[in-house]
Amino acid sequence: MARKLLLEKAHVEGIRHYDVYRREGGYRSVEKALKMQPNDIVEEVKKSGLRGRGGAGFPTGMKWSFLAKPDGVPRYLVCNADESEPGTFKDRYLMEFIPHILIEGMIVSSYALGSNTSYIYIRGEYDWVTDILDQAIKEANENGWLGKNIQGSGFDCQIHVQRGAGAYICGEETALLESLEGKRGNPRIKPPFPAVKGLWGCPTVVNNVETLAAVVPIMNEGGEAYASIGVGRSTGTKLISACGNINKPGIYEIDMTISVEEFIYSDEYCGGIPNGKKLKACIPGGSSVPILPANLLLTTAKGEKRLMNYESLSDGGFATGSMMGSGGFIVLDEDQCIVRHTYSLARFYRHESCGQCSPCREGTGWMEKILLNIENGKGSLSDIDLLWDIQRKIEGNTICPLGDAAAWPVAAAIRHFRDEFEWHVNNPEKCLTENYGLRHYADPIHVPV
Amino acid sequence: MSEEIKTIKVTIDNITIDVAPGTTILQAARQIGGDVTPPAMCYYSKLEGSGGKCRTCLVEVAAGSTADPRPMPKLVASCRTGVMDGMIVKNITSEKVPDARAGVVEFLLLNHPLDCPVCDQAGECHLQDLGYDHGKEATRYQFARRTFKKEDIGPYIQLHMTRCILCYRCTYVADQITNKRVHGVVDRGDHAAISTYISKAIDNDFSGNMIDVCPVGALTDKTFRFKNRVWFTKPVDAHRSCTTPGCCGKATLWLRGDEVFRVTARKDEWGEVQSYDGKTGWICNTCRFETKKTESWTIEGLTAISRHSVIGANKYKTLEMPSETVKKVMNGMNPKLLMDIHSVSGVNKPEIHLSEINGPAHSSDFKK
Repeated sequence: MARKLLLEKAHVEGIRHYDVYRREGGYRSVEKALKMQPNDIVEEVKKSGLRGRGGAGFPTGMKWSFLAKPDGVPRYLVCNADESEPGTFKDRYLMEFIPHILIEGMIVSSYALGSNTSYIYIRGEYDWVTDILDQAIKEANENGWLGKNIQGSGFDCQIHVQRGAGAYICGEETALLESLEGKRGNPRIKPPFPAVKGLWGCPTVVNNVETLAAVVPIMNEGGEAYASIGVGRSTGTKLISACGNINKPGIYEIDMTISVEEFIYSDEYCGGIPNGKKLKACIPGGSSVPILPANLLLTTAKGEKRLMNYESLSDGGFATGSMMGSGGFIVLDEDQCIVRHTYSLARFYRHESCGQCSPCREGTGWMEKILLNIENGKGSLSDIDLLWDIQRKIEGNTICPLGDAAAWPVAAAIRHFRDEFEWHVNNPEKCLTENYGLRHYADPIHVPV
Repeated sequence: MSEEIKTIKVTIDNITIDVAPGTTILQAARQIGGDVTPPAMCYYSKLEGSGGKCRTCLVEVAAGSTADPRPMPKLVASCRTGVMDGMIVKNITSEKVPDARAGVVEFLLLNHPLDCPVCDQAGECHLQDLGYDHGKEATRYQFARRTFKKEDIGPYIQLHMTRCILCYRCTYVADQITNKRVHGVVDRGDHAAISTYISKAIDNDFSGNMIDVCPVGALTDKTFRFKNRVWFTKPVDAHRSCTTPGCCGKATLWLRGDEVFRVTARKDEWGEVQSYDGKTGWICNTCRFETKKTESWTIEGLTAISRHSVIGANKYKTLEMPSETVKKVMNGMNPKLLMDIHSVSGVNKPEIHLSEINGPAHSSDFKK
């Protein structure tokens, strides 16, 4: 059984409340941190090798050290709790069951960054979680962990919770800042990056919920101890939201040394695929990352076992690999239709595109319409090439990563499952009643350039 | 190095230019001019915060700067990317840019109705020019286009959202020039629409400038709609002393005979409103919509129109005459007759100097 750092105490009775959380060793990291210099905390996080848990996997300590520190200008810490990636629900779980760990991590991080006002921007649909966080903040205030002169250290900090209004795009950090300022959630054009000019034009750090929570075990046990867990540049533990065709969907905290095969089939984790079905494909890191067929998921193109970590999942680039992303692990069994699945993702991205820049605004809708045609047996073979060309023209040409996120799933589906698309086109009647199944799923398929 | 560096060097399509620090790639390219300049549909130098949205101005940065000569991994929006010393930019010489730009043009035209024959903007439409210069001849889109109902915004302006390419320029006008923000974008994605806040009519003195900044026919002048095609009207520069604070009073009148069909602000070669003494020459609604008599204006002369414009169409040109070289060749003599006269001809009399003859030379001149 792997060590749990974040969810160890998540199921202690009443852990949601301050008294129990404190009794179980909560807020020790704040006590420790307030005796340190802020820069030492940043160094400690750098040592831990912690990488952003929101999807991009950028080293957190490095992100913190980029924060501009001009005199007389406030700095802000913003927690990105706008978790809206399909297949990802780890942050909700964390905030719902053990809210104080986020508050604790945020106090330490605020102290390290010099932020006296920090925000939690939470997804609008998580209304009950907002209440839980508000309660936790209230308790932290009552016990002197927030507010003026925290624990007599002279450091002031307040945390505010702001609900979003139901837009995926507001999980993009600059759109989040726009929305937090009360504006339309359009991503900003970078540079300037938030570390220089963020919230209200002031230097800002935006971190994911899990990232900020992970600061707590880093402070408690030291950066080096944290870095000793895991493998290579994938240090510490990672929360995985597993869903789809598996026996035990849910949140798993893993250290990043286990293999994908073990994660899917062992009883400790997902517990295999129900009803004796076979694995067809899997999206290992939330809907935006490329889908992988079973053969490439379990072993890399080099023939090595694929592990659940940043490096191994992205091994082979997009041609034969994928990404760790936000850890939304979606498993598809042999009965699932890749065309329908891709269509449903395209529909999501069309609906969530902010409409600011033209490739994403127009391209996402176009892809959705073509995919719907193919799914309904009305497509043609040239449509598949057209889809490839559209995604190629969206990718990299947009303001924010949503364009890439919309293009990658389509590209990967065509790259690995082109035969299934062609089957749909060639069997317009049959595709309405039958599934393509597993026919060629394990064969490497020609990659169009 | 005691001297402060005042300018930085940037190379665009193998042409090197010195520009002030803080200049964007697009502005540097405009200083060079010509084909090197990327097209811009949403960027408007006079509107703060505009640009970055349409993606037509994408360029390749082959080297970031002298200090860090790595190429940028993606194509960048030239309108919002500042130049660095020693930056090497590829626009028309890039292999990637034309393809990406053709893709953007296709995306922009995807939901555009292409109703140019009945559109008032035809002839001065930036999207027409863009499609002509950078687009493909056919579309691959086979689905119904998105449509909206026509909407009146205020007494003078009609919004035809179906034609809109969501450049956001008009919302910046509403934000930065007019005194209240009642104009913005509602909804998102491909159903996003320009709208006035809770259907409020725009009622202020400078709202008409939205028409001038609109690159397509989405915002049209209700006093001009369907009155004439722009290429049948004759543009002249004119001014009047306007009492509205903030109005520059300098405009272009579009005439047919003596009748003023419409009034617009004066535009430069990039289709942007010109600046006077550092201030942008926006005009007020009184000048634009209500002063349509030639008597009210002092006409300065014909507007200079680019020879490439359909409005120019052989009528109003600023043709440059080739410089006169004959005088130089003839050692300062000014010949009246440019003809090689045979040395044995009876009319050839070297003692009679051709330049001394007043008017065309005749045989009688040589019989003196």
